Amino acid sequence: MSERNTSESIGALELDELDADGALREVSDALGHPTRGQLLKGAGVGGAMLLAGAAGPVAGAVAKGSAKQDREILNYALALEYLQAAFYTEAERLGALRGEFAHQAQVVGAHERAHVKALRQTLGASAIGRPRFDFRGVTEDQPAFRRTAVAFEDLGTAAYKDQAPRIKSRAYLSAAIRIHSVEARHAAWIRRLAGVLPAPDAFDEPLTKSRVLGVVADTKFVVSAPRTSAFGSPRYTG
Amino acid sequence: MTDEINLEVIGGAPETRGADSRAAFLERAVVAGGAIIAGGVLLTGLPKLAASAPSADQDAEILNFALIVETLQSKFYEAGLKSAGLSGELRQFAQVVGGHERKHLAFLKEALGKGVKPVPKLSLGDGVSSAAKFRAAAVALEDIGLAAYNGQATNLTPATLGAAAKIVSVEARHASWARDLAGEVPAPHASDTVLSADETQARLREAGYLG
Repeated sequence: MSERNTSESIGALELDELDADGALREVSDALGHPTRGQLLKGAGVGGAMLLAGAAGPVAGAVAKGSAKQDREILNYALALEYLQAAFYTEAERLGALRGEFAHQAQVVGAHERAHVKALRQTLGASAIGRPRFDFRGVTEDQPAFRRTAVAFEDLGTAAYKDQAPRIKSRAYLSAAIRIHSVEARHAAWIRRLAGVLPAPDAFDEPLTKSRVLGVVADTKFVVSAPRTSAFGSPRYTG
Repeated sequence: MTDEINLEVIGGAPETRGADSRAAFLERAVVAGGAIIAGGVLLTGLPKLAASAPSADQDAEILNFALIVETLQSKFYEAGLKSAGLSGELRQFAQVVGGHERKHLAFLKEALGKGVKPVPKLSLGDGVSSAAKFRAAAVALEDIGLAAYNGQATNLTPATLGAAAKIVSVEARHASWARDLAGEVPAPHASDTVLSADETQARLREAGYLG
């Protein structure tokens, strides 16, 4: 584990120092200042692509029946987990991370892959497929990785928190709430590694789906929609 | 490390798992020679939580239960800052987290209004007698608190769940921070464990916090 620490304090949130490309600032603004206009544009192209293949429209759908609504929520969670899993898996594969960052990516990546697997198994044939991602270099540079990981984990926590009260099935709700707190643990872990307060506020705010997808779209990490559903027919059968 | 999770399995777990793991826990406690009160026996004044359909009354019982946990945490950090000889980031942790717990407490009291029930007698034991003991106690207290909240999620009405969830992830951040400070993996599982109300009270009793 990390060896710095008990002797020195974590400084005040130094967003500008951390945030050369503005991605973290956007998430922070989205979480802390919900009226910011830039993010109100909602699901952009990238956000829409992230969820392509899901049963319902990206936003604003009034689901008929709770089972359908639960499926939409789980598919939305799956989309975010695909994004996170791909991010950590690629970072680990490229080998640019050192020390505690490498450890964090390894542990958290395994969690995100487990979340993907569990959600896909639960959704079965209704599961959306995995989009293609282009992380634009943030998986091969430790400072960029750090900023992006902080943003993704805070975003994931806020997204699950927003959706949890809408889940009708007790079984799915229990599962989601237990993943929600793991995402928060991830967030605190990477924040501490980044030198910012692991728990910046007494209350964590939720973030709506359209705003989350808006943030994702702004990253331009999603480059194409999935071609098939998770358990769709293989393209070549011979 | 558990990386294999299954939504159906872990989701369905609380109902069936509670009794089993409580029995296992009691068995361990007995083997360890711990003097422990059976999980089903509740002290007077403690909420008797039943897992029935969510309702306003049940929300109030659960929030009163949360009030006990938050009161304990709040007192723990206050006393730790006073007498555990904390310095550096561990001191900062106690200050920041203690401040959060006080705000959670205020939130719960406001939400409960006249429905606030008296909190049972709490004692801090020797968890605040040194920095090392404080750190270990903080890990346990935050992990227990989080598991207690997570264990009640499906018993709450959606509106109250939405409010509680704002606290839950902050407790998870505290637990992660405490574990990191203690040299433990901040996020030990892909899916966090849950404790029923009985299990939570047994754990708190075992640690000497509840009389």
